[in-house]
Amino acid sequence: MNEIVLVFGAEVVRKVRSRPFLLATAMGALAIGLFVEAPAFMTHTFSSQADAIVLAGPPALRAHAATLLRGDFDVTAGVDALPQPVTTQFLDDHGRAAAAVALSVGGGRLHLDVYPRDLAAFNDVTFRSLSPLDFQIATGLPFDRVKHLARIQRTLHPLDAKFADSKTAALAHGIALGLLFILYLSIIIASQSVMASVAEEKTSRIAELLVATISPVSLLTGKTLAAAMLALLQIVVWLSTALLLFPHAAASAALPGSPDALPADLPISAEVLSAFVVFFVIGFLEYATIYAAAASLISRTEDLGSVSTPVVLPAVAAFLVAQFAAIAPNAPFSIAMSFVPFVSPFVMFARVAVSSVPSWEVGTAMLVNAVAAVACFYVAGKIYRVGMLLYGKLPSVRQIAAALRS
Amino acid sequence: MLVLDRVTRSFGGVRAVRGVSFTVSTGGVYGLLGPNGAGKTTTMRMILGIYPPDSGTISWNGHPVDAALRRRFGYLPEERGLYGRMRVREQIVYFGRLHGLTHADANRRCDEWMDRLDIAQYARRACSELSKGNQQKVQMACASLHDPELLILDEPFSGLDPLNAEALLRAMQALRERGTTLVLSSHQMWQIERICTEFCVVAGGEVRARGTLPELRRAFPTRTVRVSPDTPEIRAVFRRAGAAEQSADDEALAYAVSADADFSALLREVVAAGPVTTFDRAEPSLSEIYVRAVGDQPNDGLVE
Repeated sequence: MNEIVLVFGAEVVRKVRSRPFLLATAMGALAIGLFVEAPAFMTHTFSSQADAIVLAGPPALRAHAATLLRGDFDVTAGVDALPQPVTTQFLDDHGRAAAAVALSVGGGRLHLDVYPRDLAAFNDVTFRSLSPLDFQIATGLPFDRVKHLARIQRTLHPLDAKFADSKTAALAHGIALGLLFILYLSIIIASQSVMASVAEEKTSRIAELLVATISPVSLLTGKTLAAAMLALLQIVVWLSTALLLFPHAAASAALPGSPDALPADLPISAEVLSAFVVFFVIGFLEYATIYAAAASLISRTEDLGSVSTPVVLPAVAAFLVAQFAAIAPNAPFSIAMSFVPFVSPFVMFARVAVSSVPSWEVGTAMLVNAVAAVACFYVAGKIYRVGMLLYGKLPSVRQIAAALRS
Repeated sequence: MLVLDRVTRSFGGVRAVRGVSFTVSTGGVYGLLGPNGAGKTTTMRMILGIYPPDSGTISWNGHPVDAALRRRFGYLPEERGLYGRMRVREQIVYFGRLHGLTHADANRRCDEWMDRLDIAQYARRACSELSKGNQQKVQMACASLHDPELLILDEPFSGLDPLNAEALLRAMQALRERGTTLVLSSHQMWQIERICTEFCVVAGGEVRARGTLPELRRAFPTRTVRVSPDTPEIRAVFRRAGAAEQSADDEALAYAVSADADFSALLREVVAAGPVTTFDRAEPSLSEIYVRAVGDQPNDGLVE
């Protein structure tokens, strides 16, 4: 036990001092900060231009249209008629508007003449909110009545208490994808850190000195635990950055009076956080031990690429499957993948984050993965013990099997 | 006392060590000699428990070598390795602690060893910044900090300049005086001859010869006689004695004469054959003993 603690301590000191660890922690926090602040930045930088329009037409028509367009557009100016031709200078002079829209009535229908800066930004559904006005003109009914008739009355009834409303559910879905990415990134980075550490000891030939002193299993355990702890430390830094910046970002991102206003605090439940930690630990143990075993087989740093590719691919595939599971958490494929080791930590976490997963499914997935992690550790430990003293060209699968049997 | 009894080890189809047996008395310095691929490193790794033997036993003071015992051993492997970014002091203390020393004790001994090996000025430097010789000294300190009962050194002098080799020899002498048993392999015969009390020549995974230097010499079948001047009469004396000519130069002739020969009678015959300026009977050197023991099949095994 004492030797595991010693290896753990030495490994932590070496890693914390290393440039890649410090860089990854700082870059990760920066990236998350940018990701959180991006909506606010976009709102302030671009939305005033992208959502701004100039309305032209009879005053009554303009007033009704402005009422219906509120929420979608910011009407920067209203004029009776547009100059011909409409120029970008005209748009610049009217609040750097994205388009000028002339309203008219012809043949008993509403007609729009749109002069956009960017044709691609305006399509058939852009002015869908003006449909009640078209209907009012066609039927002659009072505008106030038509305005209300066009809006469907609906009430959402959540089947469980997971999310209070659709806005929270949508936000949770976004957060789940973000956390899933962090989970994937953390497991990969931490596992590769173990891989690099093993490769360093192997290629620098210090491995022989170490395994003559302490058991390879203690060495692997101390190294793996150190990488896990440092990865969790990185996650704490990254999530803290997100939690600290979110209130500011939420306040800045929403337009005044917008129904899309975000809650003041990042809504991450204790359940999701717990699932994150548990599936990180399990997933990390599965991947890190296999990565360590792979690294123990190389003799030169140049060979690291050839052994890392086969072990990285399953993680990438699992991440892609988990993204599908976040969209369709109760699809049979997602449920089945929740119990497959190596894939399960990502898929089950994604499902837990966006839906209510029966506790027996979560428990079974944890059990299956825990057993898989122990099995990985056992097999990887044997490969590691043999591999650390194998030098020369990369051994074949048959040679590894023979070495394991000997 | 370290006892190896009929130890064998194979790797796949290669029999690297074949029934090796030898005993190293406590406090002794044992030299393992042999060509590359002879099985020396495998033997050392088995002593340290890195590889378990396929058959045979290894014991230290009557006990099989286990993990707890291994922590009281020290090892300087042939392939040197250090954590490049770790500082010298941290590295030495780390290995001391892995061998069971407390933090304070490891630090105190680290100071002593850095002074002994003249590397104290590099204490805060990263190991990768040190010269090869100084890195080797750091490794020696790592292997010796815990005052091991048994220290195994695999080719400790390889790649060292004479000054650093001398420093390493002094450190080994100091350990020996403190009661550490040393087992070392080397191709540098003059160095190994200076420090070792017993020797074992291994080739093709087998023991070819073992014992103290006097014992090995006694078992050597010939002695070298250098004689001058080079005259037909003197050559005839050695031909009659059945001696094989080894070399001839401007100064003297060299003959391999049977160890059982009557050298006094031989000297009388040489003197009778004419004026003699040199007659020197030399004991076989360790190098000669090694070459003869290894023979013409030095390397049957493929694994060192």
